[in-house]
Amino acid sequence: MSIVTEPFQILKLHRKMSDEAFITMLVTMVAIGLFLTASFLVPNFFQWQNVVNLVTNNWAVISLGIGVSFLLVSGNFDLSVGGIVALSGVLSVWFAQSTGGTNPLSTGLGFPYPLATICALGGALAIGAMNALFVVRFKIPSIIVTLGTMMVARGIAQIITHGSQRNTNLPSEFGFLGNLTMFGTSIKLPVVLMIVLLLIAVFVERKMVFGRITYWIGANPEAADLSGIDRAWHITKLYLFSAAIAGVVGILLASEYQSGFSNRGLLMEFDALVIALLGGVAITGGFGSVIGMFFGAIILAVVTSAATGLVLSPDWQFILKAVAVFLAIVTQTWALARRNR
Amino acid sequence: MMSITQQTNASELTFGAKVSGFFQNYYIYFVLVAVVAILASANLDQFDLFERGNFLNKRNIINILRISAPLLVLAGTFTLLMVSGYIDLSVGSVMGLSAVVYALLAINGVPFLPAFVLTMIIGAGLGAINGLLVVRLNITPVIATLITLSLFKGAALLLVQDGVSAIKSGNGLKMPSWFNSYGREGVLLNLPASFWVAAAVTILLIIIQNRGTLGKYAAATGGNPTAAKLSGINTGRTVFTLYVIVGVSAALAGIARSSFMSLGDPLSGDGMELTAILVVLLGGTAFSGGEGKVLRSFVGALIIMALTVGMLTIVPAYYQAFVIGSALLLAAASNHFISQKGKAS
Repeated sequence: MSIVTEPFQILKLHRKMSDEAFITMLVTMVAIGLFLTASFLVPNFFQWQNVVNLVTNNWAVISLGIGVSFLLVSGNFDLSVGGIVALSGVLSVWFAQSTGGTNPLSTGLGFPYPLATICALGGALAIGAMNALFVVRFKIPSIIVTLGTMMVARGIAQIITHGSQRNTNLPSEFGFLGNLTMFGTSIKLPVVLMIVLLLIAVFVERKMVFGRITYWIGANPEAADLSGIDRAWHITKLYLFSAAIAGVVGILLASEYQSGFSNRGLLMEFDALVIALLGGVAITGGFGSVIGMFFGAIILAVVTSAATGLVLSPDWQFILKAVAVFLAIVTQTWALARRNR
Repeated sequence: MMSITQQTNASELTFGAKVSGFFQNYYIYFVLVAVVAILASANLDQFDLFERGNFLNKRNIINILRISAPLLVLAGTFTLLMVSGYIDLSVGSVMGLSAVVYALLAINGVPFLPAFVLTMIIGAGLGAINGLLVVRLNITPVIATLITLSLFKGAALLLVQDGVSAIKSGNGLKMPSWFNSYGREGVLLNLPASFWVAAAVTILLIIIQNRGTLGKYAAATGGNPTAAKLSGINTGRTVFTLYVIVGVSAALAGIARSSFMSLGDPLSGDGMELTAILVVLLGGTAFSGGEGKVLRSFVGALIIMALTVGMLTIVPAYYQAFVIGSALLLAAASNHFISQKGKAS
């Protein structure tokens, strides 16, 4: 008797796994599979240091991906994060630069560094608030709004830096945060911050009401409204969080390079979107996970670094990204359709 | 009592609807006149950039119309696509790729007409790829065209050999002398062929929108896809066709810009998707689809070009991203308020 029921029990266990967990597992397996394949093809790929590099080199995009994933789950785009990275970095430099430089680009406002970072973060949040205002209040499609704010944020950064960069007359502590190494290893503070953010995000997404509401809103906005969820305020909060993360990333990048460059973070918004899509976050809303997004980033990192290892010209990265996203979307749709048949 | 109040309400609202309808139809022309008037009245003598003199100087106007050709040729088809409720973010990459292809053909000795037609066919093919991804594979338009944005951009970059930024004379190859006559040399009223092609495409699209089935189908698809399907419209084929003609017009835009600049630059279309969306929104097309006029987008394109060129004389070039972004948000917001008023009444 027990011999007969056993396979069915296994089947039941298998069915218990949600579609989301299934896709996350699929993405994880693809990431590991790709890494092993690349290890065969590319010499010196299979090394611990390389694994570490795959994660640490992408801390900025993965951090941005957290905010972008949450918004995608709620059914909204955020393409402004790249612009915000540039804006907050440039603002932090401009505020911190001492007054009385020799030319306009070396003269700042002379704030103490902590105040400068807070003000820069305020600038980032202002863009996030603008996103929320246009999307929630005016009900304009988020893709249009965030394309607009992306240009506005980068535009302000370009005006402040006159289209180039500011890197002189900075206080000595400016480069501290971005280059701080931790635990006696070469791992820097931004990477640790990314890991902490990821852990918090996973907890919020799985265990907290805030995270679950995000899924409900994405899955069925009307039902969420009718069940008394303040959808407008929730999406506003999501945009503010995403902007805050982007602001912190911008400040840390500016600190790491000790400069405020108006083109920093260029195309990062697309990369953040790409890794979220690779990780199984669906733009139709209500589906996806931050863990999936993380492994999506690993997939992209393995593919691009393997391509560089195979001495392909850097121009190939655009095509590789396109093919990877295309395959990810098609296989995920196919796998889900097959599973739920 | 009830009926009287209702009647007065109704008549007031119809008046309101009339006003907002009039505003919706004609405000774009007022905006164009206002922008030109402001730029023309600015005292620009100290800048000396409008080639000695006023904004309304003949050479300046010709110059602006010449530079506008790529945007003008794209605006109409992009409007029809957005009217049907779809979007194409890959137009900039299609432009870049066709600019490279056109320049490559020309530099390798292909005469003008075959190179022109071949590039247009390739544009149609690229549009068809978008159409297949969206219609056949059911991928969300934004994502599908983001994929092709990356794909076509990569292809364009790969076609240009390493260490060179664009296809141009050099390495024993020379651009033929006819190469920049399409985008620069005046054929009629001192305006180049590229402008007249854009004008012809726009007129053709206005006719299609007002008289042809494609225009009606596009509006029906955007207004209510389910109803359109149920009334027997092949929405899939309509959307596919629209993606193909957007591809063709993006290729025409690429040819115009490539010819104007005398080189095949893979990045020459970067940011075009944004400008195209801006122009269409400025023309009052609702992003949700179902509404919009080709002619108004054409005027919207003229406004944007007048603004960007005019602005260069007043503020440094690095103000442009900010102004374009703000204009996009402003256009989207005002669109929202206008359509809101129309709906309320």
